[in-house]
Amino acid sequence: MSGHIATGGCQCGAVRYRITGPLFDAHICHCRMCQKASGNMFAALVGLKKSDITWLHGEPAVFRSSSIVSRGFCGKCGTPLTFAYDHTVHMNVSIGSLDRPVDVQPEVQFGIEGRLPAFGTLHTLPGSRTEDDVPPGDMAKLRSLQHPGGE
Amino acid sequence: MSGQSGGCQCGGVRYHFTGAMGRASVCHCRMCQKAFGNFGAPLVSVPLSAFSWTRGRPGMFRSSAPVARGFCRDCGTPLFMQEDGDPNIELAIGTLDDPNSVSLEGQVGVESKVSWFDGMPNLPPETTNENNPTAAKGRYLTLQHPDHDTDRWP
Repeated sequence: MSGHIATGGCQCGAVRYRITGPLFDAHICHCRMCQKASGNMFAALVGLKKSDITWLHGEPAVFRSSSIVSRGFCGKCGTPLTFAYDHTVHMNVSIGSLDRPVDVQPEVQFGIEGRLPAFGTLHTLPGSRTEDDVPPGDMAKLRSLQHPGGE
Repeated sequence: MSGQSGGCQCGGVRYHFTGAMGRASVCHCRMCQKAFGNFGAPLVSVPLSAFSWTRGRPGMFRSSAPVARGFCRDCGTPLFMQEDGDPNIELAIGTLDDPNSVSLEGQVGVESKVSWFDGMPNLPPETTNENNPTAAKGRYLTLQHPDHDTDRWP
């Protein structure tokens, strides 16, 4: 997970970043703060040094979710991008905002007190592919407006 | 559970719906991953006819030609996804005041599902306090909207 350059950004592409140092402490967090901030069952975050991130295009809007934490997001499309405590030299980016989230496998789950019981059985739910759920002929209408990733 | 409120982290956008929730699933597609900054997006379907915004209004981004995604412009929380012409709105489950009330029924968009997703429940667990000495000492003030409707905010 370390030793290479990672890039990422928001869904619309208004905010893009490059990370030139190692990524570490990949985790998911179930705490209610992370759930609410990310509209999800958990947040997926990976650590880096604050000095290792460069904003290539735009910069995140920031919400202070508590007296000690800032959360960054794209003001144009909302993608949750960063999480940072004030008092450390480290920060986190959301793993899903990386251009290659498949490179970053979580190692621990934090905020276990907020874990939803349904999380433990998600893997047992039946699955389908996007093209299985879209009526024939409609896939072509799903023209993506998502930034393609890469610099 | 019938009828519920929810909203974003800062409380600038709040919603309420009446009646029963429809189908709930986790979507793993790359569009949902990027929009939520996550491995997937848990969404629950609610009829628009039973749904209303009770405080503020979301910002919107059209992530593909027929689909709009809503979020809070002040704190970024992803709130919903909606396809043109669909009589339902797909709410982000984490924004519900009681996300535990949702019964997930399936996984969709599995073509982009990360290989380790199914193993995540077995990752070593830590509570927030074990992980965060600052939080353990109660030295921080949350600025998150509570999980119930409020007369005034902030």
